[in-house]
Amino acid sequence: METNNKKKILIVDDNEGLKNVLIDKFNYCGFEAIGAEDGQVGLEKALELHPDIILLDVVMPKMGGMEVLKELRKDGWGKNVKVMILTLVNEPEYMADAVESNILGYFVKTEVNLDKLVDQIKRIFEIKT
Amino acid sequence: MIKIKPYINNTVLSIVIFILLLIAIFLSSGLIQELIKYSLTHYSINPIVFNTYFNSIIIFLVFLSIFISYTIYLSPINFIWFKSKKNDTDNSSILSKEQFKDLYDDAPVPYITLDKDAKIENPNKSALRFFGVKPEEINNKNFFSYLSGEDQKHAEMYFQYYKSHIPINKKEVELVTKSGKSRLVELSIFQMSDFGTFSNTGVAMIYDITEQKLLDKAKTEFVSLASHQLKSPLATTKWLTEMLMSRNLGELSQKQVEYLDKLHIANEDMIELVDLLLNVSRTEMGSLTVDIKETNVEALTESILEELTPLISKKGLNIVKQYNSSLQNIESDPKLLRIVIQNLISNAVKYTPTGGTITITFDEKTNIKQIIVSDTGLGIPKDQQDLVFSKLFRAANIRTSSTSQGTGLGLYLVKSIVASINGNISFVSEENKGSIFTITLNY
Repeated sequence: METNNKKKILIVDDNEGLKNVLIDKFNYCGFEAIGAEDGQVGLEKALELHPDIILLDVVMPKMGGMEVLKELRKDGWGKNVKVMILTLVNEPEYMADAVESNILGYFVKTEVNLDKLVDQIKRIFEIKT
Repeated sequence: MIKIKPYINNTVLSIVIFILLLIAIFLSSGLIQELIKYSLTHYSINPIVFNTYFNSIIIFLVFLSIFISYTIYLSPINFIWFKSKKNDTDNSSILSKEQFKDLYDDAPVPYITLDKDAKIENPNKSALRFFGVKPEEINNKNFFSYLSGEDQKHAEMYFQYYKSHIPINKKEVELVTKSGKSRLVELSIFQMSDFGTFSNTGVAMIYDITEQKLLDKAKTEFVSLASHQLKSPLATTKWLTEMLMSRNLGELSQKQVEYLDKLHIANEDMIELVDLLLNVSRTEMGSLTVDIKETNVEALTESILEELTPLISKKGLNIVKQYNSSLQNIESDPKLLRIVIQNLISNAVKYTPTGGTITITFDEKTNIKQIIVSDTGLGIPKDQQDLVFSKLFRAANIRTSSTSQGTGLGLYLVKSIVASINGNISFVSEENKGSIFTITLNY
């Protein structure tokens, strides 16, 4: 009954450990979490599964997060999809690029509290915590 | 020792010019003319001949004086000519032509002489080594045809610059060598006028910066890579701990909560340390980028205080805010300024005993903005105050205190960053009374 209402969240991160923590956390918190191990797979899954929100890493093999974001914005569905950058790279040039691509936020992983992150995303979808 | 001497005796020349002009004036006066005519008649020479050429002689003498004055004093071309003439005859203290040629040929910097059409005429040994060629392989080729990569497209533009006598000064360009490899160089071309023919020649100087650029790139990449590799496991540990602490995997015993809490704190300290080390590396390697934009110092400070709230509450510290609204919108680098203020407030929190007071003041006096962080903490002993901003310095009184958590890198980093954003940092401190750190912006 409840699976239909679950928000679909795509987590694109080449770091297996970090990706799995995020998938587990969001699954526990009532989301349907899907993982992608690099930018290319992430872009394919996004265009195929049309998730409600994408958490995107920046430095990844095959295709970087900024490139994925650029490609998404070219797509009819992708141009409006909610994207949040979650990275270890705290560089102003990436931040400026990301902000121009209309994203929900640019966060450095080591500064993000997992519960606060979940709360923030729940607020976006107006899900009661 | 080689001395550059004045190349000509100015006094002698001035006298010569003066005498020439004097003769011209003398000749032009009526009395002298009559005397000369009388003398010529006396020797049976027709004075009409004299009359015909008389004015021409005067004009010639005046022009001769002007020409000598111009060549000696004013013309840069002949300045060089006279100088070299003088040098040829005086070997004792000035570089001879041979010495100059040796200097040119054996200089470690590649020099290439170009003709008026930018054709290579005389590359020195370093230039031949740089291009990996023999003289005959490079002579008479257009210098700008060696531009490569993106710069190849601008070859014509550079050539026109050269033809128009526009100097090229330390321009970063790519040049291709015989092996086909491109080298990044700083190119300077200055022009010289050749006396006699008045045709222009140029000298190109090449400073190879390929290795230097690669090193700079490697430094920046190292910091990025280190940042990524070191922070990945720390982020994983942080999130796993947070998952356990939020009871996502079931209830925890009191001891488990206590241990997870300690694990979390230790991990946060490690994240802070890694960030600090990476920032120190960035400043030391010169790869710290300064991005000046609109900065709200008040908002920055408030977010730092929010982060430090758990520790401030735990120690029961009073925070006094004396904000000035002029610091709500300043031109600075918010990311770097945040590191500076964060370090100062964090130090004040760490080294102020329970119940103490921390005062944060924003001040503006005649367009000079100041951020002042003062505390009622341990203070810095007088005899160690000179070392406060040096790397790995930790004051004796904090090393022995139980609150000892510092790395000795914080204030070192703060000083480097403040300098990079055109600021200045100063402090006054008294042991067991407290410290006042003042950041002055737009110093």
